[in-house]
Amino acid sequence: MEFYLYTALFAPIIGSLFAGLFGMSKKNIIAGLVPTALLFVSFLASLKLLIYILGGGEPIHVELMTWMATGDLYVPYGFMVDQVSVTMMMVVTTVSTVVHVYSIGYMDHDKGFNRFFSYLSAFVFSMMVLVMSDNFLGLFIGWEGVGVCSWLLIGFWYHKESATWAANEAFIMNRIADLAMLIGIFLVYWNTGSIQYNEAFAAMPTLENSVLTTIGIFLFIGAMGKSAQFPLHTWLADAMEGPTPVSALIHAATMVTAGVYLVVRAYPLYDLIPDVGVFIASLGAFVAMFAATMALVNRDMKRIIAYSTLSQLGYMFVAAGLGAYWVALFHLMAHAFFKALLFLGAGNVMHAMHDELDPFKMGDLKTSMKWTWILMTLASVALAGIYPLAGFFSKDLILEVAFVEHHYILYTVLLLTAGLTAFYSFRLVALIFHGDDRHSENGVHPHEAYRFMLWGMLPLGILAVIAGMVFKTPYFEMVTQVLPAIEYHIHNHTVFWIMTIGTQLFVIAAIVYAYKKYAKAVKVDKKVESGILYQLLYNQYYIPQFYEEYFSKMYRELSEMMWKIDLKIVDASVDGVANIFYNTGIKTHTMQNGNLSTMLRWMVVGTVVLLALAAAFTLGQSETVVELLSELGVI
Amino acid sequence: MLDHILSILIFFPALAAVLGFIVHKDSMRAYGIIVATVEFVLSLWLWYSFDASISGMQFMEQANLIPAFGISYLLGVDGISLFIIIMASFFTMLGIATLTETRRIKDLIITLLFLQMTMIGVFAALDAILFYVFWELSLVPMLLIIGIWGGPLRIYASVKFFLYTFTGSLIMLVGMLFMAYFYFQATGQWSFSLLEWYRLILPENIQAWLFVAFFFGFAIKVPMFPFHTWLPYAHGQAPTIGSVILAAVLLKMGTYAFIRFSLPLFPDASVFFMYPIAVLAIIMIIYTAMVAYAQKDIKQVVAYSSVSHMGVIILGTFALNVEGITGSVFLMIAHGIVSGALFLLVGVIYDRRHTKLMSEFGGLAHIMPKYALIFGIMMMAAVGLPLTINFVGEFLSLLGFYKQSHMMTLLAGTAIIVGAIYMLAAYKKAFFGNVTKDENRNLKDLNKTELLGLIPLTIIAIWLGVYPQPILEPINNSVESVVQLMHDKAISPEAKSVIPSIAKFEIQEAH
Repeated sequence: MEFYLYTALFAPIIGSLFAGLFGMSKKNIIAGLVPTALLFVSFLASLKLLIYILGGGEPIHVELMTWMATGDLYVPYGFMVDQVSVTMMMVVTTVSTVVHVYSIGYMDHDKGFNRFFSYLSAFVFSMMVLVMSDNFLGLFIGWEGVGVCSWLLIGFWYHKESATWAANEAFIMNRIADLAMLIGIFLVYWNTGSIQYNEAFAAMPTLENSVLTTIGIFLFIGAMGKSAQFPLHTWLADAMEGPTPVSALIHAATMVTAGVYLVVRAYPLYDLIPDVGVFIASLGAFVAMFAATMALVNRDMKRIIAYSTLSQLGYMFVAAGLGAYWVALFHLMAHAFFKALLFLGAGNVMHAMHDELDPFKMGDLKTSMKWTWILMTLASVALAGIYPLAGFFSKDLILEVAFVEHHYILYTVLLLTAGLTAFYSFRLVALIFHGDDRHSENGVHPHEAYRFMLWGMLPLGILAVIAGMVFKTPYFEMVTQVLPAIEYHIHNHTVFWIMTIGTQLFVIAAIVYAYKKYAKAVKVDKKVESGILYQLLYNQYYIPQFYEEYFSKMYRELSEMMWKIDLKIVDASVDGVANIFYNTGIKTHTMQNGNLSTMLRWMVVGTVVLLALAAAFTLGQSETVVELLSELGVI
Repeated sequence: MLDHILSILIFFPALAAVLGFIVHKDSMRAYGIIVATVEFVLSLWLWYSFDASISGMQFMEQANLIPAFGISYLLGVDGISLFIIIMASFFTMLGIATLTETRRIKDLIITLLFLQMTMIGVFAALDAILFYVFWELSLVPMLLIIGIWGGPLRIYASVKFFLYTFTGSLIMLVGMLFMAYFYFQATGQWSFSLLEWYRLILPENIQAWLFVAFFFGFAIKVPMFPFHTWLPYAHGQAPTIGSVILAAVLLKMGTYAFIRFSLPLFPDASVFFMYPIAVLAIIMIIYTAMVAYAQKDIKQVVAYSSVSHMGVIILGTFALNVEGITGSVFLMIAHGIVSGALFLLVGVIYDRRHTKLMSEFGGLAHIMPKYALIFGIMMMAAVGLPLTINFVGEFLSLLGFYKQSHMMTLLAGTAIIVGAIYMLAAYKKAFFGNVTKDENRNLKDLNKTELLGLIPLTIIAIWLGVYPQPILEPINNSVESVVQLMHDKAISPEAKSVIPSIAKFEIQEAH
């Protein structure tokens, strides 16, 4: 089985290096096909491992070689495939294979075609390292690796100022969280003596609660950066500057879920500190609602989907925080499928619309882009959580978790958010595909995407439909061999049915309302738009402006000031000292002017000084002077 | 020959430099490259013959110079100095091979070979006076390199560099003389041998005084805040080769000397001054990173980033445990490779455009993709990306210091944030966006000579990041013995508890 493990892990990096060879030459289709093929190989290897694990195989654990060893620290390149990591591997390889196929079409006319595939495959490799590592530092390699690839891919069109700005923002904001993560790793090392998962987690129950809480908090702050939780969330929406396949793969399906994966992976730790768990869940619920509200009014197709991602990540953290680790992971998987699908559909629309992102300038695309319409609607239905699609099984489960655990406030927030989710998802679908044609006047003539791109998207479409229904039971049986196997059932049947049907009706009502409002002629209500609430939401609660004003600008100005201090104070005082010597020399050189009477005068001064010193030393041999000199060994 | 390999490594370049006067001007480059390559091969041979399992000094040579005062010609290497010596010979070779300077090339190469002698001398010397002689001699060639081949402000910059570091060194010399005197008082014999000094246990207050005296010499060299202001001038005015060697090797003399002298000689004082020095290190890290962000000249960005990284090295050193000190020694190598490469890269664009202002560039990634790629890799190494060389050093240094103070490590850890800010901002300004200046449209990408210099550095930066063990292991072994020595020598119980005892030595003793 080790062979399959290494194949799954290293096939993407080989693809990346291969495409990299063509990095500086003209577009070559080979540079796209080979990485895609290798990813498919990686997918097959992961599938083989999944079947092995499903068949009751022992988790696989390998050590490639030593990375660092010094003092008591020992860090190997160790990898493992257990029930949790194999789930992640399947999600990563499935979505990335689809995205690779899709990108061959999407990036067809881009002159950075070869470079794109090199970065994209490198990303997949980093992600695989992240999920397969058997220790915290290995995870950190992947963690930073996906960060760099994300930086490269957000700023892929590096001639655009907005793209490179967003890339740097994402990188730096993630770095802030990474520092916390690093501190968390330090804490783990000095308290448990190891950074291997199994050894560290085994040692944790003996530690003091305060230490565990600190570790839990720091690791979670790390997770907040990658998963763009409030207040480190602004980079995710700006990251939409990257090519759309990137948004689908990195900023929806895989990288942003790394934070959730971390919490799930560290469940032995978080199980010991339920208070931190409640905090995680509360923050998750807050973000779920917070992001959904921003999505309500936004006029940028990709940003709407990005906020939706943010909101769903919030759901996952609620589950993880409440100890329902398998539910969090399950929603992570289901979400990866339908959200990636949604993004890829948005990519088709963007291409058809010549990179137009405002859905108010689209409309009636269902006639010209029938398949994209079907797939995106499917994805939206899944996202809204309508039976029997994937979202119903994973998202409603989180609501049940909150209910069963008696966190009724969280439950209410999540329920309301579910309504908002349905509304903004179908607002988008209605604006793009229904209603009147608002794009022809701009001279845009939409066309459907390449046939193979649509075929490529199909697996995701199928998964969005069946992932919940078909996978739930086998998935539960598999992962609960590792994760706590808590089944969340509302025992009272009446309550259960009322809740389930109620939620469904509520969501459907939101969908109908969205269609009603936006699927006909779109009326822009000036009064609503100038209202405070609308403006607040539209400007993302003014948080980006706040960050710009109070962090970026302050930092810039403070840096300028520091530079001035460096020149005018630190350096100037050094020169000042030097100048004292220099000027003393200049001022006193007249003493040596060769004039006999001046020299005699100075001689007298010298004699007096010497006599005075002699007197001072003999008369007043003070205790302290003697002491000091004797200490230094002079006398 | 192996018995005298250190002497050969030191004096072969010096001898070659003297012979260089009779070499014809046109063949000087070839001559320089050959000499430096032979020297590099010799240093590799040193590594090959080095026994990594021994933690003490190897290849020792001894000859009496002034027996009455115990001054001797005493050389030796251990895991801590070995790789800095190899790096010094590597960068001299690389520097001469990629030299683009045409003015007075013969004098330049002779100066460089002479500089090489002093650098290797510093890291191989185990006698304080010998160390001091090489330490001071190294100023002369650098003074000449900046003063003759430098930019418009070169005289000011070179004099400042010389006088500032010289002043610090004199205070250090006074410290050395006192140290020898105390040794004389204790044993009745004069000695400047470091190995004999190691055996002397000094009272705490004397340790503190001597620590301070040595500190001035080392801190100015590193350079530590607030003694760092000579560095931006020196880098700003120095030619590429000067900056490369200054950043890669000369600065390491200071941090190396902390580990060689201050820590084992004054363990109690090291513990006593641990927090004040850590505060300085943290200021270095954050403050200079912010100053770097404000720079308009890309070379100044790299120069200030050097100071910031040296802060992490100092912090690792004063972690006073194996993880931290090993990390800081490793980071010395890592910073040498990365900052050396960054200065070479800045030199590339300066040769083409004769300006270093970032506002003059923009969009270089379109025109010079290879250059952008290598710069990008080195930038990521500089910000400490895992699997690049810097990460190993930074991680271990911070990990080590975390044992001593949580809060301070958290502050120092902002290095990974502020470092990313200035580096990414600089990269964005120079490489991203559209080409706005016409002069930049026809710039040539890296040529063969430049690639010759940069590719090996790139390979090392990644290789040692992925697999640091070949050099981490010897460093670790030597550091363990230093830490154990400190633990054994420490007087106060507080110092004993701060400096850990190494388990494996205890086991050996028990047997």
